[in-house]
Amino acid sequence: MMSKGNKQTRAVNWPVTILLILGCLTIFFPLYMAFIISMKQPSEMTNDISGALSLPAQWSFANFQEAMRVTDFWHSLGNSLLITVATVVLAVVIHGMAGYAIGRSMKKSKAYNVIYMFIVSGMFVPFAILMMPLVKQTAQMGIANRLGVILSYVVFYMPLNVMLYKGFLTNIPIAIEEAARVDGASTWKIYWTIIFPMMKPMHATVAVLTAMSTWNDVMTPLVIMSGTGKNTLPLAQLNFQTQFGTNYNLAFASYILALIPILLFYIVCQKQIINGVVNGAVK
Amino acid sequence: MRGDRDRERTFLLITIPVVALFVCFNTLPLIKGFIYSFTNFKGYGSYEWVGLRNYIDLFSDARVGKSYWFTFKYALLGTILTNVISLIIAMGLNSKIKGKSVLRGIYFVPNVLGGLVVGYIFSFIFTYVLPVVGQSLGIEALSGSMLSSVSKAWIAIVIVGCWQAIAMNTIIYISGLQTVPEDIYEAGAIDGVTGWRKFKDLTFPLIIPFFGINMVLSMKNFLMVFDQIMALTKGGPSQSTESISYLIYNNGMSGGQFGFQSANAFLFFVVIVVISVVQMTVMNKKEEQL
Amino acid sequence: MKLKWKTVGSIFLTGVMLSTAMLSGCGSTDTTASGKTVIEIVQYKPEAVKAFETLEEKFNATHDDIQLVIDSPNDAMTILKTRFVREDYPDIIGIGGDINYSNFLDAEMLMDISDYEGLADIKESYLTIDKQLEFIPLDGVYAVPYMANAAGVLYNKDIFDKNGWKIPETLDEFYKLCEEIQSKGIQPLYFGFRDTWTCLAPWNAIAVDVADPNICAQVNAGLATFTEAYRPVAEITKSLLKYAQPDTFAYSYNDACTAFARGESAMYVIGSYAVPQIKSVNPDINIDSFVFPGSNHKEENVLNSGNDLQWSVMAGNENKKEAIYEVLNFLYEDENIQTYLDDQSAVPCKKGDFELPSMLDGMKPYIENDKMADYQDHHYPAEMSVDAMIQTLLVDESDTAVDTFLQRFDTEWARYNRDLIAKVQKFYEEHPEKLTEGGN
Repeated sequence: MMSKGNKQTRAVNWPVTILLILGCLTIFFPLYMAFIISMKQPSEMTNDISGALSLPAQWSFANFQEAMRVTDFWHSLGNSLLITVATVVLAVVIHGMAGYAIGRSMKKSKAYNVIYMFIVSGMFVPFAILMMPLVKQTAQMGIANRLGVILSYVVFYMPLNVMLYKGFLTNIPIAIEEAARVDGASTWKIYWTIIFPMMKPMHATVAVLTAMSTWNDVMTPLVIMSGTGKNTLPLAQLNFQTQFGTNYNLAFASYILALIPILLFYIVCQKQIINGVVNGAVK
Repeated sequence: MRGDRDRERTFLLITIPVVALFVCFNTLPLIKGFIYSFTNFKGYGSYEWVGLRNYIDLFSDARVGKSYWFTFKYALLGTILTNVISLIIAMGLNSKIKGKSVLRGIYFVPNVLGGLVVGYIFSFIFTYVLPVVGQSLGIEALSGSMLSSVSKAWIAIVIVGCWQAIAMNTIIYISGLQTVPEDIYEAGAIDGVTGWRKFKDLTFPLIIPFFGINMVLSMKNFLMVFDQIMALTKGGPSQSTESISYLIYNNGMSGGQFGFQSANAFLFFVVIVVISVVQMTVMNKKEEQL
Repeated sequence: MKLKWKTVGSIFLTGVMLSTAMLSGCGSTDTTASGKTVIEIVQYKPEAVKAFETLEEKFNATHDDIQLVIDSPNDAMTILKTRFVREDYPDIIGIGGDINYSNFLDAEMLMDISDYEGLADIKESYLTIDKQLEFIPLDGVYAVPYMANAAGVLYNKDIFDKNGWKIPETLDEFYKLCEEIQSKGIQPLYFGFRDTWTCLAPWNAIAVDVADPNICAQVNAGLATFTEAYRPVAEITKSLLKYAQPDTFAYSYNDACTAFARGESAMYVIGSYAVPQIKSVNPDINIDSFVFPGSNHKEENVLNSGNDLQWSVMAGNENKKEAIYEVLNFLYEDENIQTYLDDQSAVPCKKGDFELPSMLDGMKPYIENDKMADYQDHHYPAEMSVDAMIQTLLVDESDTAVDTFLQRFDTEWARYNRDLIAKVQKFYEEHPEKLTEGGN
């Protein structure tokens, strides 16, 4: 709890600091355990606590090598990256334009209000109901592949992102655009040269939100791309969860491998990610 | 004005393909799903129209009823726990502490990790680590795996769900708390307002909008729970933790109940819309009152 | 103005999107650029991936005109069904002789292959099992059995030999043995009941001994109820819990295999398919097996064995028939079957002298005398989740658990199968003469 109204506001609140540091253990513990197990051999896994938590007899990356081979790690990683990057780029471009076009027209036109509500209401549609028809449809369109997954994502995240862009636009006065129009710039040009750069904070938010949901998603690639021989990183994890022949050490090595890219990315871009998430939720 | 026409035209040219894309990947599948809900389609092969039978069955199907019951109690407890805990952590992280930015960074980590992998890791903890701890401490309730007990498995899923959701809510509460001006507390301190009353009368009213966001966000995410179920229990033991999404996926995709589960999905859709509308109305009213 | 290309682009995009959404049409490739016929197999046993990789390589090295692709995906049934939803069919599917086969057959997705010569080499009993899986008796053959598996009790031979325990032949002997093992401080049984499907292993093994093998068809025809037929099965299955490890429902299949491999239990009620998994944990374990003695009459006990892997050709492949049969011939060559056997512990469905894995020694007499019956769950619809129902029965500690379970079994069966029951009964009204021929 907060310290009593202390006049010396500079003083460090040590009890709270210590409690928070202890709280971090709940976050580190599972990750530590996963890492330890991934280093061990199946024979070291006894059905008790030391099997899970003691340090391995010898540090070996053999499980990681094997996990990389089994899950075809580099290809899975490549697919995940490709899908995430393409989705993010398309989201920023398409949703930004859509948010602009719709947001700027809503005051004048009732039709745009309807369109806005129509798109935003897509937020309530559970994926479960779209799943099967989407599988059929992407196949019929010949895009039961990475492209189909990317397009599906672009549409899934459209409601939220359009809402975010539209909300952000209310902070950009129309007067700026009108000044440019007087100079004879077309709307298209105004968007790309003036509005698009001004929406930069929102681009960051959209990019972060879209990227994190895309990266960790299992269901969409599972139903759309399964059986095509291509995996994303989370999808590849399912390889270890079959009824027959599971191996905890190998599985945990694979989990760690799946977690590392996003963790690295988070460590590098921590500030942008947290800001992005907050903006997205609060706006 | 000529510029107006250019503007309208450009907007239209942007909007039409976007709406087409949206219709193609959202509305159309939704409608198709709705149509399938009146059939006994397995997902392949031929099918017949069965009228409203699927919808009638929904209300007499014990398994569907059970999955709604599980999903709602899970979402309710999860939302409450997540909000209480993350508010406490947020206040801690917002007070005068050492290493503030590092701690904030750490507390957000669970949110960037994929739900499936987190679920697998926790599954191991619940099966092997916790029971041993429970036995050595002599705590009866913990000495068996939580995941194997019909009465406790759902709590285990709540714990994992919260572990991830708290990260997000904490960050949002922090940004809310930062909007609370320092001088309010100073004024409060002069009036001798401290502790719980300080929170209840000064802090909380000012962060109501953030509370609202968090409630809506976490409720929605908890209602859609899927990854955790898949990783932790696969709906067991004895079908006590089948969430609605899991049931739809499991029986609709691999179980050959595509038509019936489409009806279930549609019902779920309606339920989500109703809950969201109610939540938003309540939140708006609250905000207005204050 | 610049606007022009934007207008065109916008209209074009819209048009493309909407029209493709409505239309279907994407051709599949049947031949490679070099003119080879491509044959794609999807088989559902991911644990056999190594054996099939070897076979695939060998085939392609010896065939210039055909290119064979064998996929062994995980969760293959979901993947196959998803592909069927996409109307993207492989040429040959390798699946088990279970309800999925019945459903695919019912949906007219499989090709009649009664003219395949290799059928003559297949043991009769396995072809019969497939016949019984047809909802409505069909003319023609739609699957070639490849491998069978058997379920029963695996036991740790070293522990048994050390204590001088004998293989039980009746239910009472089995109970007595369990108590004897317990009194020595050894865990008699270990289960992986957290994975619901493992609940079916003892269930099936007991059901073949004490329930009518044709019970599902009889119920569908309105001649019997499960409440009567399954009561002993339910009771015996539940009685096994007394001899299981504490907190039975906490452990998965993997855990149970590991525990058994480490000698933590003397016996393990599971199928032969678990052996490779157990050996991967402890390659030196000395395992043998025996048939679950579900009945107190020795002669009533039969081996629970079914088609674990069989090949079916997807409909519409008439033009590729020759190439497909060529692939099948290759798969049934004796040495290729042996490749599979060496990797997996299974029973080949082809007649001939194959080296059976030693852990099936205890079941051999039953296999040789053809005293076998199919897994009952091969007739249960997947969406009914009988495995979870059995788990519920086992978890339920009240006195009425068995009654609740049996009652639920009958009601849910009627609900999940109503379209099928209507169809079957209509068929038999039209063809009363077929009623006696069996079939599900």
